[in-house]
Amino acid sequence: MGSGLVLLDAPLTAAREVAYGMWVISLQAPEVAATARAGQFVNLGLEGFLLRRPFSVYRADGDQIEVILKAVGGGTQRLLSMRTGDVVNCLGPLGHGFDFGGGGKTVVLVSGGLGVAPMPLAARDARAAGLQVTWVHGARTAGELCLESDGDDVIMATDDGTSGFAGTAVAAAPDADLVLACGPNRMLAAVADRWPDAQVAVETYMGCGTGVCLGCAVPLARGGYDRACTEGPVYRAADVDWSALPFRLPYAVTA
Amino acid sequence: MTVELAVSVGGLQLRGPVLAASGTFGYGTEVPLLERRALGGVVSKGIFLKPRKGTPPPRIAETPSGMLNAIGLQGPGADALVRDYAPQWAKWDFPVLVNINGESASEYGELAARLDGVPGVAGFEINISCPNVEQGGMYFGNDPRAAAAVTEAVRKRTRLPVWVKLTPMVSDIGVIARAVEAAGADALSAVNTFVGMSMDLNAYRPRLSFRTGGLSGPAIRPLAVHLAHQAARAVDIPVVGVGGIMNAEDALEFLVAGCKAVQVGTATFVNPTAIASVHDGIATFLAAKGLASLADLPRYLPRD
Repeated sequence: MGSGLVLLDAPLTAAREVAYGMWVISLQAPEVAATARAGQFVNLGLEGFLLRRPFSVYRADGDQIEVILKAVGGGTQRLLSMRTGDVVNCLGPLGHGFDFGGGGKTVVLVSGGLGVAPMPLAARDARAAGLQVTWVHGARTAGELCLESDGDDVIMATDDGTSGFAGTAVAAAPDADLVLACGPNRMLAAVADRWPDAQVAVETYMGCGTGVCLGCAVPLARGGYDRACTEGPVYRAADVDWSALPFRLPYAVTA
Repeated sequence: MTVELAVSVGGLQLRGPVLAASGTFGYGTEVPLLERRALGGVVSKGIFLKPRKGTPPPRIAETPSGMLNAIGLQGPGADALVRDYAPQWAKWDFPVLVNINGESASEYGELAARLDGVPGVAGFEINISCPNVEQGGMYFGNDPRAAAAVTEAVRKRTRLPVWVKLTPMVSDIGVIARAVEAAGADALSAVNTFVGMSMDLNAYRPRLSFRTGGLSGPAIRPLAVHLAHQAARAVDIPVVGVGGIMNAEDALEFLVAGCKAVQVGTATFVNPTAIASVHDGIATFLAAKGLASLADLPRYLPRD
């Protein structure tokens, strides 16, 4: 965190539905778009809600950033009810993103549901690092699959077998030099079992997003907690104590 | 028109009346986009003598116009504070008070003695909203004798300014305020968070792992203004108002209610530049009213 962090009013410029109930909205946020790395997030302030809402940066292009969301609570409903030109207060980019060093040749991006959020930027940054990208995305059923993808190879999976591989995204994914994953905590725990060195972007409740409130505690395998907003949200999979992280959040935050 | 905002509170000269509240500003080194010129002072994240792990997640829950938190006073302990943070504080042009915590009156005293004289530590704010382990977990802050005992234990171990942060979870805050004043407090911070609870209707259990949490934010502001006012009427030492301040008008309510300064907390979570806007807004208000200094602001503090 730190360098390049800005606070600005970002007008909403576009919205599109990418799966059943899943939307991508575009915000004009030039300083964020210029510096956001894969896995980083923005914390969006909404009229009528005290706390900001964290969202992974989905894409960044020119002076626009995109975030992906479903209406899961009042804040996301409010975001989805906004019209072009309405303004969102945007703080970001925040957090430590994915690391593409290490000299590998291949990367597999594994996402479940809204966990697709950091993957388009991850594909961009992986290619810039010279990696061959395999895109694996899973959902419960065909209608909930996000059909936007960006991989040299693309694998879709559904739990009910209505489209693509029948089973989880983790089961559908091949091995690679680098594994990056984002999705429900239960899925990330499975990622940790199969690839302890995978980099996973975790979702937690979040207060400030800037490291002061200690609300986004992530339990660590070595004991203690650190902050998803600052040391995370990307962790080495085996470093997280998955048994101590709540598996089901009353609302889903993509950060 | 230049407005004089400097104020003297409980043994400390502050260049402005707006401080950062404990637990919302880390150790003063974390908040990004900070405008230090507007900072009257910082109250550090609450610290114990020993490191504390903190509570399991979920630790926070949003509520209407507020938030519940149960962080569990996660912190690195006194030695790490002295090693990692105090040397930075010593270079700053505003004071840092350390919010101190303990499980017994003697532990508070020991912590104050450990930090007394450390360059960068300008004073103490005693968090009396801790359970007294030696007395069945009853909160120090709910009992005038226990609150006074903690204040006295700290007072005996330091010459630095000692502020006491009062809990709102009492039937008469004036009684506690007078007790800690008599025990040697230099100022009072009023008030800490209110204890609250919120239920997860999918899991049929509390939304916080700790079950209860401290409620902060605009939801508590009128309650906090009332309690700060009651405390200010009960004592002669200065009262620092805290509770749900989001903007300058909110801060001015506490000041008119009899407070000498204010602390801004949850607002910083929402907007890292909140303290600067509160500070600047107070100056703008005073100028618009034709008041040359904060000291000229009329206070509503009947002594009947």
